[in-house]
Order: sequence, then C-alpha cells, then structure tokens
Amino acid sequence: MNDLWIETGWISLNHVGETLCGDKVEIFGGGDEDLTLVLADGLGSGVKANILSTLTSKILCTMISGGIPLEECVATIASTLPVCSVRQVAYSTFTILRILDNKTAHIIQFDNPATIVLRNGDIFDYPRTTRVIAGKTIWESTFPIEENDVFIAMSDGAEWAGVGMTMNFGWTRDSIAEYAMANYLPENSAKFTAGLIIDECNRLYGGRPGDDTTIAVAHVRSRHTVNLMVGPPENKEDDERVMNLFFGKNGSKVVCGGTTSNVVSRYLHQPIETSLDYFDPEVPPICRIKGVDLTTEGVITLSKVLAYAEDFIDQAKLAPVWSTKKDGASLIARELFENATDVNFFVGRAINPAHQNPNLPINFAIKQQLITNLAECLEKMGKHIRLSYF
Amino acid sequence: MKITICIGSSCHLKGSRQIVEELQRLVKENNLGDKIELAGQFCMVNCQNGVCVTLDGEAFSLTPDTTRAFFEKDVLPRL
Repeated sequence: MNDLWIETGWISLNHVGETLCGDKVEIFGGGDEDLTLVLADGLGSGVKANILSTLTSKILCTMISGGIPLEECVATIASTLPVCSVRQVAYSTFTILRILDNKTAHIIQFDNPATIVLRNGDIFDYPRTTRVIAGKTIWESTFPIEENDVFIAMSDGAEWAGVGMTMNFGWTRDSIAEYAMANYLPENSAKFTAGLIIDECNRLYGGRPGDDTTIAVAHVRSRHTVNLMVGPPENKEDDERVMNLFFGKNGSKVVCGGTTSNVVSRYLHQPIETSLDYFDPEVPPICRIKGVDLTTEGVITLSKVLAYAEDFIDQAKLAPVWSTKKDGASLIARELFENATDVNFFVGRAINPAHQNPNLPINFAIKQQLITNLAECLEKMGKHIRLSYF
Repeated sequence: MKITICIGSSCHLKGSRQIVEELQRLVKENNLGDKIELAGQFCMVNCQNGVCVTLDGEAFSLTPDTTRAFFEKDVLPRL
C-alpha cells in the first residue's frame, strides 16, 4: 500500500424554492480504503427528483462497491426506478468514481457533464470508451492516479449556471474546468474545492439556482499527520513521558493552552515568544515556541475551531473566513481541515482550578466536550482520528 | 520599561484584549512608544487574580476599567 489518501467532499445547491435536492451523492470508503462515489441527478426537481437520485445513488454505490458487474447494476436501476407520470420515463443520470488500491481510477458516466480531472493543477484529458448497456450509452475510463489528482464530478446544474441571466449559454464544463484550474492549490481540501465552484455557480445564478447543482470532489493526497496537544497531563510526573510521546510522533505539532505551552517550553528548553496581534478580537493571540509548528491559547480558540468545523461539514459558509485569516483558530482550522489526513489528539486531564469558576465558560467539562465534538466533526470530514488521554 | 499582559484563557475572558488596546492607546497618546514596551504572556499561573499584568516584574491585577488609573498612578511616575 502506498502513502496516498483519498479525500472527498461535496456540496449541493437546491433549485430555487425547493426544500429537497434532486441531486444526490453517495460515498463508500475513501481515505486509505477503496472509494466508490456516486453522483446521481434525478429527472426534474423536488420530491420526485430526490427519490430518483436517492434510489440511483444508493443502489449503484452499494452494488458497485460490492463488486457486482456494471450491467447488472444498471439493469437493477432500470427495473427499480418509478416511472414519472408526466414524462413516462424513469430517469436519473449518474457519475460513478471508483479509486481502487489507491492506484487506479475507474470513472463510469451516464449523461452527467464529464468529470473534470486536474493533475498537478492542469486539466488532464483522460481516455474514455463508450459502451451501450440497456439502451444507455455509458462512458468508461480507467487510468492510474497520481498524488494531487483532483476529480470534480458535477450535475448539469453547474453547466447551466447563468443561462439567460448572466450569460447566454451558461457556464459550460470547459469554463468550470478553467475556473477550477485557476483556483487550484494543492492544499485545498476536497470540500473547499467543491465550495469554490458551487459559490461561483450560485453567483452566476444570481442566488436563485434554476436547477439543482452539485459538485463532488475527490482529492488524491499524501498522508499528513497533525498531532494536537491540549491540556497538561493529570499527574505532573507524567509530563516528561507524554512530551516524549508527543514529540516522537511524525507530522506537525500543535500545542493549545497557556499552561500546556509552559510545560512544552520547559521540556524543549525554548522560550515562548508572544505577540499582541488580535487578528480576531474573540481569539487570543498566538505565540511561538521553536520546535512547535503552532502554539495557541486553549479553550476559547478551540471553541472557535469547533464552530468552523461544524459549519464546514454543513454548508461551509465560514470557509472564506478561516482560509485567509491569521488568528489562532483560523490557523488550526487550516491545519486540521485542509492539511491533515490523520489527527492525533493528546488530551491532558489536569484541571486548572482557576477555570472552574462558574462565571467562566472554560471549565474542564466544556473542554472535554469540545474535543469530543471536534473529533467527531473531523471524522465526518474523512480524517483518521486518534484520541489519547493522559 | 516593560508591561506584560496575560493573554491566557481566563484573563482573555476577563478583558485582557481591552486592556492591551487601552494601554496601546495610552502609550501612543503620551508619545511613550520608545520608553514603554508592551508584551503578552501566556498564563501567568495566577488566574484567580486576573487580569494579570506585570510592570518591571511587579504583579498587578487589572480590569479594563482600572487600566487608565493604573497607567496614571503606577506607570507614569516610574518613568
């Protein structure tokens, strides 16, 4: 097995006035396991489209990841989808992206705009063949993946963004590919990339999407471990042992908390260099310790990181904030959400008596809850999480 | 002269940012930028008495409301 990691993320815009989306993304696996990602776009919009795309994506994802031949999967869908009473057809387009053994990409596409592939930030024209299954013309492509490959699957709502409003003929797949290329940065997470394109679609639609619009992204990256320490160990005599463990790990080191930083500074024999720069008035300034990649205050900063994380797994509306700002919470968010594939939390159980004041929202129970919730969010982002308590 | 303000969690919540801003303003107002150095410090391990501020090593406990008085009564006479 190689050192690659498959990260996925997707965002949908609903047709204006609809509470349900007619596009559906279903994902199985990812990370260092085989990935199956299905993006289905049901005919029409609203409830009917939602049912069609949900059935299609769920059936395809389950059957394909179970190793069942494509012909059988397509036949199953054809005989399962309810027929639309208005149009007398049962119809949902789909894109299936599989990445196997962290080596080979296999893309199967039916009537969605062709998946865009960026290789090292350039548009990559991959080979494709066609075959007809149950009367449907299906495109198939198989090629080896490389680090930094970005796969961008979309529903046709993305192509049509802006038709008759900001443009005559919509945005087209080629301009989307160029836009993705222009905004490509290797550290952009899959979800962030999806968000960039979706935001542009929404802008072109003038905030009133005329079709359900979905972007699903898979990003091939090398593994990057982030080790995050928060709170000193419960027993002072464990300090040395925990520090040895923490600094012995591969990957970047993040230290959160004033007392924790003092322990780290003593262990490394390096002074703490502080600043008084409040890039965000709510977040205390960061400081620097040689040998640590990032040192911040604890509970207040992490509360902000959790707020960013909860938003990021939902609509990612705050992503433009943390992806550019220089305060401690934004820096941690970038390191955890964008750079990390694996996160090791080192949580100290020492209780700071001054924080147990009921008037301060920073007591020990809050800190514990904060870490648990943050770990859950990161897991939902597809990261590999390990929590250790000391 | 060096004034150090604690920017740990507890002091942050008790208003260390406002104190930092007030002191920065007072230093500028009095043209003392070359005489007074303002610095932050992570947790001075005296959280109960926050906001912790030290003036040339001597410990003080401030709130945003007492900052101006501290500056006039304790900082200016020492210059």
